[in-house]
Amino acid sequence: MTTPSVAPVEVPDSDQRDALDQVWQVVVWNDPVNLMSYVVWVLRKLFGHPETEATRLMLQVHNEGRAVVSSGPLEKAEFDCHRLHHHGLWATLERV
Amino acid sequence: MSNRRPDAEPFTRTGDAVAVGLSQTEISVLGDLPELIVSEGDAEGRFAYVAHAEDDSAEARYQDLIGDDLDRLRATDRATFAICLGSKELSLEEAEAFMRVVGEARIVLATRLGVTEDGWEQEAAESRDPGMALLGYLGYLQDALVGALSE
Repeated sequence: MTTPSVAPVEVPDSDQRDALDQVWQVVVWNDPVNLMSYVVWVLRKLFGHPETEATRLMLQVHNEGRAVVSSGPLEKAEFDCHRLHHHGLWATLERV
Repeated sequence: MSNRRPDAEPFTRTGDAVAVGLSQTEISVLGDLPELIVSEGDAEGRFAYVAHAEDDSAEARYQDLIGDDLDRLRATDRATFAICLGSKELSLEEAEAFMRVVGEARIVLATRLGVTEDGWEQEAAESRDPGMALLGYLGYLQDALVGALSE
């Protein structure tokens, strides 16, 4: 029989707590290579946007250079950003 | 060597799969894409993705968190692409990996060709440069995959 070991709990420092408490937004940036149709497909696939909303966001990226495609706590925002990178889109995070 | 009929779609949705209508010539050309992507490294930084562009410490934490996960996912896509190339039918997951590899190859080619601004497509259409022709062709294939996966 073994006894469960108790790992020490890591306490985030104040900067980390601030970051975790805040809302973050995921920004997709324009690039000249990815197809408009592909960007719409990615936004629908990853975030479940209806086609009209995905198309609006894609056009905002194309015309204005960037668009906020999702937002939420840091952990979710970083996950979304990672998935966009996997699909070849240039995405970064910003605090709201 | 077979050629795809001019009126045949390269990718057609068939329920939960995608039928492939690529010719042997096309398959031969596409077979070089994984090596093309690997040979280009991070494509002059294009694949050096960052999440926290203006916060070095946050970015360091993020990179520690994801480790080599993105490289591993990209390598898995290339492996799937290589295995599936030549198949007459792709699962939806395979078709998505195929589409990402084609997209990465387009990014690599565009980097090589110095494409940095929108509006290059018209020049590509009129160009006799083989790289531009391949870039345009891969765009056609990727768009066909988007169509098949969107149905």
